[in-house]
Amino acid sequence: MREGDMQGYVEPSAIRMKVSKSFDDDSSLSKNNSNVTSGDFDSGVGMNTRKNQVASQNITMNNPIYSMKAKFGIRSPSVPNFQDSLYSGNNNSTPILNNSRRFDPGINKNESNNMDTRKYWKENADVDSAKETPIDNNKTHDDPAMSVIDLYNDDDGYSRNNRSSMGHQLEDYHLESDDEEDEDSENNHESSEMLAAVSNAEFLPKSITLNRKELNTEHCDRYGFKKKNNYVSEETYNAWWEDYSGYCIRRKHKWLLLLQKSGLPVHNDIPVRFPPHSEKLKRYVRKGIPAEWRGNAWWYFARGQEKLNKNKDVYSNLLLKMGNLEDETQKGKIQDLDVIERDLNRTFPDNIHFQKEAFSTKEPVMIKSLRRVLVAFSLYNTKIGYCQSMNFLAGLLLLFMDEEKTFWMLVIITSRYLPGVHNVNLEGVNIDQGVLLLCIREYLPELWTEIESSYNGYTKNTPNNSANSKNLFLLKLPPITLCTASWFMSCFIGVLPIETTLRIWDCMFYEDSHFLFKASLAIFKICEPDLLKGKPSHRSFSQYSLTNTKQHRSNACQDDYDMQMFQVIQTFPKTIIDPNDIFEKVIFKRRLQLNRLDQNEIDKCRKYVAVQRQKHKNYDDIIGKLGNTSPFDEKSDEQNLHGGKFIDNSINILGKDLKMTSEMVNEALSSEVYDFKRGFSGVNWNNSIKERVKHMRKKK
Amino acid sequence: MGSSVSKALGKLFGSREMKILMLGLDNAGKTTILYKLKLNKIKTSAPTVGFNVETVSFKNVKFNMWDVGGQERLRPLWRHYFPGTTSLIFVIDSQDKDRLNEAKEELYSIISEKEMENVVLLVWANKQDLKGALKPQEISDFLELGDNLKNQMWCVIGSNALAGQGLVEGLSWISTNTAKK
Repeated sequence: MREGDMQGYVEPSAIRMKVSKSFDDDSSLSKNNSNVTSGDFDSGVGMNTRKNQVASQNITMNNPIYSMKAKFGIRSPSVPNFQDSLYSGNNNSTPILNNSRRFDPGINKNESNNMDTRKYWKENADVDSAKETPIDNNKTHDDPAMSVIDLYNDDDGYSRNNRSSMGHQLEDYHLESDDEEDEDSENNHESSEMLAAVSNAEFLPKSITLNRKELNTEHCDRYGFKKKNNYVSEETYNAWWEDYSGYCIRRKHKWLLLLQKSGLPVHNDIPVRFPPHSEKLKRYVRKGIPAEWRGNAWWYFARGQEKLNKNKDVYSNLLLKMGNLEDETQKGKIQDLDVIERDLNRTFPDNIHFQKEAFSTKEPVMIKSLRRVLVAFSLYNTKIGYCQSMNFLAGLLLLFMDEEKTFWMLVIITSRYLPGVHNVNLEGVNIDQGVLLLCIREYLPELWTEIESSYNGYTKNTPNNSANSKNLFLLKLPPITLCTASWFMSCFIGVLPIETTLRIWDCMFYEDSHFLFKASLAIFKICEPDLLKGKPSHRSFSQYSLTNTKQHRSNACQDDYDMQMFQVIQTFPKTIIDPNDIFEKVIFKRRLQLNRLDQNEIDKCRKYVAVQRQKHKNYDDIIGKLGNTSPFDEKSDEQNLHGGKFIDNSINILGKDLKMTSEMVNEALSSEVYDFKRGFSGVNWNNSIKERVKHMRKKK
Repeated sequence: MGSSVSKALGKLFGSREMKILMLGLDNAGKTTILYKLKLNKIKTSAPTVGFNVETVSFKNVKFNMWDVGGQERLRPLWRHYFPGTTSLIFVIDSQDKDRLNEAKEELYSIISEKEMENVVLLVWANKQDLKGALKPQEISDFLELGDNLKNQMWCVIGSNALAGQGLVEGLSWISTNTAKK
């Protein structure tokens, strides 16, 4: 039923999203590839998913979207199921992923056609070919995009002209073998299959280019992201991956045992249900959910199905509404659409699933899905609409689950895990940054002194009435939070390398949002030595006792240090390629104070910061009003004559009391210090009592 | 007073440091420019949430360049964070004619802020390599900077971040024009 619906909705949306050309593409694509798809299914790659495939095969033939998808749906390992289940008929089924890990679907930006052919040849080589294959063959070659392949050689020109290009990386292609050696025998089978495919491809007229592109996928990790970036070289990545992939296999084995013990079925290597919460499971999750189960596990732990069941048809209705948007031309919403449109092609530009084919106007299926999810969301939650960083959240989710699930997960993330963070006023971000600062003050005091002193230098320049307030940093956040704000908004996507990000996501869905704070603290903890390295050692001395000119030099010193701090915070996380750096070195260390942080604490802390910010704001409003009225005092002498005396007096009184009130308010505000839970769980120490105890001890 | 002393010191040692704020609408090419200058590489850049900061050294001048994320709603996050900015770089997508007006409004709203009173303004008319891109002169005419800016020095330079054209010219313009101050 649903897939019928989808077919109905999606096309109009595609037309109306201002990408009119994509409609033509859709139709041409569907004609060309409906058969390719079915051929696809018979290939041995998606071995474990055959059941689903069969179920979906008949739909495939006449469903343009599905067949389009199939272009990208070359299933590979651990990678993306690509919205399979949404279109495949058994809607409630879980994402299709098979358990082998390597061999990305070489869907390179310009390669999906290639892949189709490759698939086709592979099929011929290894599996007995399905009936459709001859047609398949024709169709594939008919595909106008085939001609593109030869042109592709010209990649220098391409890289110049195309902003999302990775052209310059193409030169160094060579086979890496380490990638296939992991996991189990199936994999070996697959890789040999793959090699057969390659050698078969050799007989194709286009063999050379084919080969070349095939190898190009080796530069991508198992999710299709480019291994190399400015901070991690491909060699480093491969060296690390050799170890880490072994780790992943061991973990997966343990997971299988755990599920078996819990009596949970693992059909086709796709578990749908997971054991109830327990310390053991928490540990398992922290050590990483197997990549190919992630979509399901996240969905399960975030209770996505619950949400979906309550809101059946909401997503499809939103898609319908989306289709009607053009008629209504609601201007407010159109603005969001423009922003979304601009960001679509800038979402994961170095992930092959999000890349366009060279010289082709065809839009990657992922981009289309992303558009639908984001637009649907902006219609669904007008308070949030679209906020940059949501494109990353949705994009990453799409790699692991289908569109509808992605949509609901996005709803869950923006409401449950990051409440208010993406709202138009961004108050949620500010609150979370305040909470993070409090956490740093509590758990990383050394770092806090640095942040505080650079902050004091910074607030000196901006005169503020409530500058004395101890909690001012909650209202006017230190510049450092500009860095960390993006950590939260995009849940570390783009901040940390992808595997590390995913491990944090695992925990976020299992342990709730406090884990984001814990992870942030862990990152700070790891880079603390770097952060503290260059601190201006003579600061305290110069600040208080040096003359004016020299103090200026020390200010420059401070500026230098601030700059350095920013760079560390910006760069360091990008180099944490091994997730276990965060987990083994920090999260699993029970003695570390910061591991006491729990959800209760964060919830309380968020409330506290929200209230404090509100109070500060109210207070600032009052002060602001008074500030504005004070010049009126002189003017209003005339008014006095006209009988405005009473009001005037009150203003005067307020003005005189301004200083006093400001002190009082400040004292009141800063006396409400947030207490972190310390020591044994359940005992909540009151700061003032603690102070007294300290005093008493000193006296003794 | 204090700042003139530090500038004198800087001249003495032959090196200066400058805080530069790079702004512009989303998708104008700010991050691309930053990394072209820093690494001489084209980084496939994604929308910047938050900001990037890099130090670029050029002719004895250390430019601390702040590249700040573009989407309109994220602007309040950084608006008030940049006291002590010596120069402002505003990047414009010369091909995106539909949004030129928006860019102009944004530029004026920033430059009229108090902290920007004495900055030196450089406008990079970026994406000159694209077909149909407006020439720097056209952009300059459109922005009407000469009529509206009294305090600040300004300059419009065409640029192509991918090839690196116009970038060095821009920085050297900044360094010569701030030295005179």
